[in-house]
Amino acid sequence: MKVARRDALGLAAAAGAGVLASGCDRLTRGLTHPAAPASIALPTGAVAPLARLLNRVGYGPRPGEIEALGRQGREAFIEEQLHPNDEEEPFLALRLRAIEALRSNGLELADLPEWHILAQLQQAALLRAVYSRHQLRERMVEFWTNHLNIYARKGQLTYFLPTDCEQVIRRHALGRFPDMIRASAHSPAMLGYLDNQVNRRIDKSGGGANENYARELLELHTLGVHGGYTQKDVQEVARCLTGWTIESRFWRQRGRFRFDPDFHDDGPKRVLGQDIAAGGGVKDGERVLDILCAHRSTAKFISEKLVRYFLGRDDAPWTNKLADVYMKSGGDIPSMLKPLLVSDDLLSGPAILKRPFDFMVSALRATAAETSGGRPLQEHLAKMGQPLHQWPMPDGYPQKTSAWTGTVLARWNFALALATGSIAGATVNLTDLLKGSNSDDASAASRSLVEVILGDRAESNSGLVELISTHIGAREATGAPGETIIAEAGALVLSTPAFQWR
Amino acid sequence: MPNDWSSCDGRGWASTSDSLQTGPNMTSGESQERGLSRRQAVLGAALGGLAWASAPRTSLAQLAVRPNRAESEADLLVYVFLRGGMDGLNAVIPCAEDDYHRSRPALRLASPKDRGAAQADRAIDLDGFFGLHPALASLHPIFEQGRLGFVHAVGSGDQTRSHFEAMATVERGQPNDLTGSAVGWLARHLALSPTENGSPLRAVALSSMMPDSLRGATGASAITNLSEFRLDVPRVAGISSERSLRDTLANLYGHGTDAIAHAGRETLKVIDSLARVDPAQYRPQNGAAYPASELGGALKQVACLIHANVGLEVACLDRGGWDTHFAQGSAGGLLASQLADVGDCLAAFDRDMAARMKRISVVVMTEFGRRLHENSALGTDHGRGSVMMLMGGGVRGGKVHGAWPGLMPDKLDGPGDLRVTTDYRDVLSELLAKRLGNNKASEVFPAHLPRSIGAFA
Repeated sequence: MKVARRDALGLAAAAGAGVLASGCDRLTRGLTHPAAPASIALPTGAVAPLARLLNRVGYGPRPGEIEALGRQGREAFIEEQLHPNDEEEPFLALRLRAIEALRSNGLELADLPEWHILAQLQQAALLRAVYSRHQLRERMVEFWTNHLNIYARKGQLTYFLPTDCEQVIRRHALGRFPDMIRASAHSPAMLGYLDNQVNRRIDKSGGGANENYARELLELHTLGVHGGYTQKDVQEVARCLTGWTIESRFWRQRGRFRFDPDFHDDGPKRVLGQDIAAGGGVKDGERVLDILCAHRSTAKFISEKLVRYFLGRDDAPWTNKLADVYMKSGGDIPSMLKPLLVSDDLLSGPAILKRPFDFMVSALRATAAETSGGRPLQEHLAKMGQPLHQWPMPDGYPQKTSAWTGTVLARWNFALALATGSIAGATVNLTDLLKGSNSDDASAASRSLVEVILGDRAESNSGLVELISTHIGAREATGAPGETIIAEAGALVLSTPAFQWR
Repeated sequence: MPNDWSSCDGRGWASTSDSLQTGPNMTSGESQERGLSRRQAVLGAALGGLAWASAPRTSLAQLAVRPNRAESEADLLVYVFLRGGMDGLNAVIPCAEDDYHRSRPALRLASPKDRGAAQADRAIDLDGFFGLHPALASLHPIFEQGRLGFVHAVGSGDQTRSHFEAMATVERGQPNDLTGSAVGWLARHLALSPTENGSPLRAVALSSMMPDSLRGATGASAITNLSEFRLDVPRVAGISSERSLRDTLANLYGHGTDAIAHAGRETLKVIDSLARVDPAQYRPQNGAAYPASELGGALKQVACLIHANVGLEVACLDRGGWDTHFAQGSAGGLLASQLADVGDCLAAFDRDMAARMKRISVVVMTEFGRRLHENSALGTDHGRGSVMMLMGGGVRGGKVHGAWPGLMPDKLDGPGDLRVTTDYRDVLSELLAKRLGNNKASEVFPAHLPRSIGAFA
């Protein structure tokens, strides 16, 4: 039954793809877009921990989700998040099916211009982050996308990027870390980005290997820069990976991984104190990946990054705890995350700055925006400094707060544009959203806006409520239209320092 | 863009491309009075141009003096970071070294006097030993005229050959600390600088992200596009004025102590300052033409800020794309086009700034150099020493500074890299002391005893 229903939807979406793309999507919109709740009032009891849980596991609450989480309970929620299935809301599934780049592989996309593919990938990321109920998976996809960062604008990598996004990152985002690293090492996008594609021995005597991928594999993907490797290890790993390239000879196989024995340095090697005998061929590289993924430094480095991502600080006991789980479970990501996500430490500690993508998605969610994730939205993301897949260096977009303090103005401008309905493909109606809540006067409207957007009691934000109320009052005195006043007030709440943190 | 600062450099400099000869227009007492608008009164000393606005029209010489900092006689610093590891060996080329030619059969540039090679494939002779990559030809006259110099075999103590470690080391200005909390060297410089400059545009990074060198600095902003740096009020019926939104935002950001609240307050000040600068109207002087590249656009905006006298002391620019592991090219190709952009941009800036170059120091550096030997992909891997470019009136130009370690196998570092004989902090310490009026280099670069290089007068 279920399968049949999904197939039917898929067909409908495929047939309707052109219609969707042309913007005449009103037909499907009303049927399936997640409806805003009748009331946005916060449930009774303590809401701050619930809001923070939604902000830290995912991209923040949509109206009504705090209440739903209260009913479901924290442990059940975390369990569900750690083990997502492939089911998505019909609205989201429909929209994703219309995205060509997700349905095709590599060179099948050769007819599309590169910017088009890049736009589709960003669209998919936005739609999923905004609408998927598997919020943790989306957060982890973002995490690993930066951990195994690829700059889309290098060469013609864009064509290989969709496969990397789906088969390396998304497929293993909540799977096993070694599986993801192996997939990445075989991924044409990564082979191209870090030049392993051209990593060849020069002659029978060896030498001349290209160190680019080998170094970043050790430094950024597995052991970490203080993980105990030497320059000699970098060179030896590079030798092991000579001949790992992208198929370019036969049309049918073009764009796939290929091991080319002619370019492989088949001499003996020594990596991190372990001997790799001569004549191993492609197994040399596989062996290297095994050594790296089984290394305690890798466990520690990955754990350290995960702790920082979810707690917003360094914490040695937590890092060690997660590293232990990594070593015992063979790098099983959900097993590592679980103790962290059910811990009270997730809900305490310093606030974490939302990067522009986090900020954008949380704003779209908080305002129950209806979005296609299209180019106008992506342009705002670029102006805020985080266009997806466009960070040139292999370390991915920075996490540290100090890197992002220059983005405040672009955030304000996004908030103003979003709330006033000035972004094509992102519709917000705050006046509708406040219906059913008390918004009769400036003060009540201000309270409701602060509560729905910040997901917190108005009483905890009395200063803010008062400022917004004053602004609304002053605007009402000018006789401005009520909808504009509410939209503008909503933009100001989205612009507050408080909304920039999770 | 609203521009109510009509008396002085706001509109004056922008509309008259010949203002180099006359200085910012100050044509009558009336305009002077008009210039002292409410906004000026409100912003007060935060705006560097205020003193200038009320100063009498004077000679060319005074143009070079930034009014609010006249007492310091300090240079304005333009700091360009080439990210990815620039191949110093193919930028300022040790043509006289046989090992250079032997190690790079495909990537080498021919020597200046190599009659067997076409002119375009030959390096441009600098001093009989070093030659300039032909893609940097536009810098050669500036070198000859003594406003441009190089420091070779320069680098940091970082041994990891990691981009990120090396950049962090350089930009923090001290050996890596594992807490990651250290502030940048430029932030320390600004905090220790004797000048009193309350301008919100005291330090500007022309990027969407704040570079680590400015980390922790007060009065530092990251701006990608000057003309877009304003509240973008949507065209919706009944929406507030920019002023009213700005005022409510100022209230919302008035008291917070978090990093964003602080950044928001700085942002509002910058918006106010930039309201009187109109970059669209900016016309480079003396026929200078900036390349239509990102770096060209950024340098042009720096020039615009300099002309507008908004109190700029430090400008930070980035240019990526130097990680040439693959097909880096020789006289043409990837590296050549990268170098050409840098050379053409710097030459345009030098021409545009003209007499102002007397009080400007441009420093171009990278996180590390690249391996002497080319790899099998006709690129080069991460190395150690590279080259720094210094441009400005206070540079001892026309010279390649530093001790040359040589390229014989026994002179190389690790897997075959140019040895670092000059610590980058030696160069920057000298810059601080001789050009930036900061005699506390030992606090800017703690745990470093600088040696004199003689690269600045």
